[in-house]
Amino acid sequence: MANKSTICILDDEPIVGDRLKPELEEDGYEVEIFTDSASAIQRIEEKCFDIFITDLKMEGVDGMGFLEKVKENCPGSAVIMITGYATIESARESFIRGAYDFIAKPFRLDEIRSAVKKAQKRVKRQ
Amino acid sequence: MLNLVDRLASLCKKIIPWGGERSSISFNDLFVRFHQILEENNTAMELIAEMEDKLGGQYVFDKKFLEDMVSEIERVILRSAYNFNFITNNKELEIYSVIESLARKLQQELAGKLVIPSGQNVLALGDIQEVMEEAVGNKAYNLFKIDTLPQASVPSSFVVTIGGFRKYLAFNNLYDKIDNLMQEYRKNGLSVESVSNNIRLMILNGDIPSDLRHEILKAAEKICPKNPESSFYSVRSSGVGEDGMMSYAGLHDSFLNVPFREVLSSYKKVLAGMYNSASLEYRIQRQVPFTDMGMAVLYQQMVPSQVAGVAYTVDPNSPDEQVCLLGANWGLGKVVVEGGASDMFRMSRNPPYEILESRIGEKKWMVVSFENEESAKVDEEKRNMPCLDAKQAALIVETALMIERYFKRPLDIEWSIDTEGCVQILQARPLGIARGGQPRSQELKEILKHRKALMRDKGIIAYRGVGSGPVCLVDDKKSLENFPSGAVLVARFGIPLLARAIPRASAVITDIGSPTGHMATVAREFRIPTIVDTGSATEVLQNGQEVTVDAERNVVYEGRVNELLHHQLLERPLFETLYEFQILRRLLRRIAPLTLIDPDGPNFTARGCQTFHDVIRFIHEKSIQALLQIAEAPSTLLAHGGKRLKAKVPLNLILIDIGGGLDENIGKGGWVVPDQITSLPMKALWSGMGSDDAWSTDPIVADFKGLMSGVTRTQTATVAGQVLTGLNVAVLGANYMNLTLRVGYHFTVVDARMGLELEKNSIFFRFVGGATDISRRSRRAALLMSILEKIGFKVEGSGDLVIARVTNSNIDQIEDHLYLIGRLIGFVRQLDIFMTDDTTVDLYFEKFMEANNINATGDHKMKRSNSDGK
Repeated sequence: MANKSTICILDDEPIVGDRLKPELEEDGYEVEIFTDSASAIQRIEEKCFDIFITDLKMEGVDGMGFLEKVKENCPGSAVIMITGYATIESARESFIRGAYDFIAKPFRLDEIRSAVKKAQKRVKRQ
Repeated sequence: MLNLVDRLASLCKKIIPWGGERSSISFNDLFVRFHQILEENNTAMELIAEMEDKLGGQYVFDKKFLEDMVSEIERVILRSAYNFNFITNNKELEIYSVIESLARKLQQELAGKLVIPSGQNVLALGDIQEVMEEAVGNKAYNLFKIDTLPQASVPSSFVVTIGGFRKYLAFNNLYDKIDNLMQEYRKNGLSVESVSNNIRLMILNGDIPSDLRHEILKAAEKICPKNPESSFYSVRSSGVGEDGMMSYAGLHDSFLNVPFREVLSSYKKVLAGMYNSASLEYRIQRQVPFTDMGMAVLYQQMVPSQVAGVAYTVDPNSPDEQVCLLGANWGLGKVVVEGGASDMFRMSRNPPYEILESRIGEKKWMVVSFENEESAKVDEEKRNMPCLDAKQAALIVETALMIERYFKRPLDIEWSIDTEGCVQILQARPLGIARGGQPRSQELKEILKHRKALMRDKGIIAYRGVGSGPVCLVDDKKSLENFPSGAVLVARFGIPLLARAIPRASAVITDIGSPTGHMATVAREFRIPTIVDTGSATEVLQNGQEVTVDAERNVVYEGRVNELLHHQLLERPLFETLYEFQILRRLLRRIAPLTLIDPDGPNFTARGCQTFHDVIRFIHEKSIQALLQIAEAPSTLLAHGGKRLKAKVPLNLILIDIGGGLDENIGKGGWVVPDQITSLPMKALWSGMGSDDAWSTDPIVADFKGLMSGVTRTQTATVAGQVLTGLNVAVLGANYMNLTLRVGYHFTVVDARMGLELEKNSIFFRFVGGATDISRRSRRAALLMSILEKIGFKVEGSGDLVIARVTNSNIDQIEDHLYLIGRLIGFVRQLDIFMTDDTTVDLYFEKFMEANNINATGDHKMKRSNSDGK
C-alpha cells in the first residue's frame, strides 16, 4: 500500500484520537493525532494531510481557526468538523468556511468511517 | 447563600402556603403536575438509556459528554422532585437532599476522586457492590466479579476496605508522619529505602482501633464458622490499580497459611507492605499521588485441596497458538507456584479442551498441612501418575476461559480442586504479555475476506468484541438452563429471561431487541459481544453450527476464525480500560440500577434511594399514592370528575382522566362504557380483562356474578400486614395508565405507558396477597412469575409478592403484554384456593398457555373475542 490516504485528527480530549486512530488505520489510512491546535498547526506547515478531523471547541485556536489554517495551507484537503455543541448555527458557519462534513459528538464509529470514506473519494477526484 | 433545599422550599411556599390547606388547588392542577412528573421521569430514563448505550463501545464520546449528561439528568430529576412536592404538599422535601448528595458523588466521580462509602470497613465478598471497586481494591473486586460468573467458585472471603486503612492511619496519626517523610525525601534526598523502612516501622508499631479489630475477627470467624481457631487464611493486598489497569503485580506482600491468632498482625504487615521500596519507587515513577494511596486487604479461607496449581490462558512463549497451560501438583498449590516438580499440561483453547501434550513430573513431595507447611511424601504409585485427568483439566480450562472472556485479556489464575471435586479460583491477574495495540493487519483482513460470512450488517451492535462457539438456539427455560458455556446464544427476542445464560455465552445475537433494553444492559455488564435486532438470526444460524461473531464490524462468520480471536485477545486495544469508559461505568453504577423495587418494602423511602433510577421510581410511586390518598373515598373522586366504568365485569372501577384517557364527548354523567376509553394502555389491558372468558375459566365454578360481587365490593382487607381500603381506581392519560385493584383479598397494580416511541414504553405489574394460607398464595405467585417470565417480563418476588417489569418494547409488544396481563388478572383471581400442592403450578401454567395460544417462544396470537371493548 504505497499511497495510503493520510488523516490528521485534532481534539483536545485524547480519547477521541485514541479511539479513532486504530479504527481508521484498520481501514487502511495513515493517522496522526494531536490534542492541541498549536502542534497540529505546526505539523501542517510541514505536511498536508488528505483529510482533517477536528473538534470545534478548543482552547487556543479553535476548530474554526484551524479550519482556516487548513484552507490556507492545504486547500485540496477535506475537513470534517466534530463537536459536542451541535447546533445548526455552528454547522452552517463551518460549511460557509469550507468544511466538508459535520458530525455531532457523541458519534458512532461507523458514522465517522463512512464520512471519512466519502471525503477520501472527493479528495481523490480532485 | 441559601442551599438548594431552602431555595426550592421557598419556591414551593410561593405556590402553596406552608403547611396550609390546599383547598384552592384543583384536582386538575394536580393531574397536570402528575403528567409533568411522568414526562420528566421519562426524559430522565431516556438520558440514562443513552448513557448506557455508550458503554457498548460503538460510540466515540468524551468527558464533556459525560458532564453534560450528568447535569442534564440532575436538572430533569430536580424538576420532577419539584412537581412531586407540589402534589404532596411539600411533605417530601427530603428528596432534594438525597438528589443533592447523589449529584455530589457523581461530580466526585467525574473529577476522578475516590468515592469510598463511609462506615463500611469490613465486607464479606458477597456484600461487595458494583460501586465499591475503589473501596475494596482490584484484587477483591475481581474475585467478587468472578464469584458472580457461573460455575466459578471463590473460597469464602472478606475484605478490609480502604475505609479501614484510612481509619488505621488516622487512629495512629500516620497521615502527617508519612507526609513529613515524603517531604523530606523530596527536599533532602533521603534514600527510598530509608523512607520505606521508616514508614513500615511506623505502620507495624501502630494499633488497630478496637472496633476495627472486633470487625476483622468477627468476619474471620464467619468465613470459617466450624472451627475458626484452627482455621487458616490467606491475607493478600488488594490495592487500587493493583492487578487492574496499572499492574503492581507481585509488588505488595501476600501471606499464605496465616493462623487465626495472626489474623490481626498480618493486617498490619500487608499495610506496611504497600510502602516497600519497590512499590514506593514504582509510585514515584508513575506519579501515583501519595495522598490518595490506599490499601484494602483481602482475607480468604485456605481450602484443603486434592490438586492445585496455576493456569495461563495463553502460552506466553507462543501466544499465537491456541493453547493454555496448566501446572498442577497434589495437595496445596504452593509447590507449583514456587516452581517445584509438578505436572504441566498444554491444553487446547477450543472446546472440548483436549490435552495436547503433558509432561508428568516425578512428584515426590506435596504440601498437605497449612500449619507448618509440612511436606509429605507422595505415595509411590501416585508419583508418576498425572494429578489431573482429562475431564478435570478440561473443566479448569473451561472456567479459566470464561473468566478470560470477562476480563478480555490473557490471565494468570491460581486454582485448586477441593475435596469435593469443585474448581475454586483463588486469584486471577493479567498475564504479562505485551499488547500491541494493533489494528487488524492486512493479512487478517485477507483471511476474513476468504471466510464465509453468514450474516453481514444485520442489526445493531450492543456490545463490541469478538466471540466464537457453537450456536445454541434458546427458545425456552430448559434450553436456557442447559446452555453450554462458551456457546453463541441466539434467540428470537431479547427478553430479560436470557440474562441467566448471558454470562456463560461467548456472544449473543437476537432477531428482535433494542440496544437499550434490559438484556443488552446485562450483556454489557458481563462484557459479552452482542448484536441485537438482526431480524433473522434464528433462521440463518443452525443449532450447533460453529460460528465467529465479529461484533466490531457486524459480521457472523462460519466456523471458528482463530486469527481474529487471537488478534482480539492479544493485540486489540481494550476500550474498556480507557479512562472515560471507566468513569462512565462508575457513573452508571450510581445512576442506572434500580434497587428500590417493592413500594411496600421498608427501604422505600427518600433516604433509601441509592441511585437516580431509585429517585425516579420513588417519585413516581409516591405521587400516585398521594393522588389516590387525596381522593380518599370514591365519592371524592366522583365529585372531582372521576367516572364509574359500566362493564359486564362488575369491578366497581373508577376512572380518572389526566388528559386524553377518555373520550372527549362523554358528557357530565357519572358513567362511561369501555368503548369510551381512549387511553391506549387501558384499552389494551381491558381487551384482556374485560373479556368474560377471562374471568370464568375453570377455577370459578360457582355463580359468576355472585362470586364477583362478593369479592369486589368495597372492603377492608389485610394484605401483608397492611390495611387496604377497597378502592379500584385507574388513572388514565392518552399513553398512560395506573390501575390499582383490590379484589379477592389481593392487591394488584398495573402501571403502563404505551406509545409509538419504544424507549418510553414500559409496564410495571405488582401482585400481592390473597385470602388463603401463605403456601397456596406462594404457589399462585410462583405461577404468575413463571407465566410472566415466559411472555418476556423481568420478574422478581418472594412469598406471595410478584413484581414484573417490561421496558423498551414496541407498541405491539406492549399491547400484547397488557392484553395478557388483563387475562392473567382474571385467571388467577381466586386460583390460590385450588393450588393445593406444587404440581398445580405447572398444571395451571399449561392451562393459561393453552387458553391464550402462547407458543414455546413466548409468542402468542391475540384472542379477543367477547371483549366488551370490541
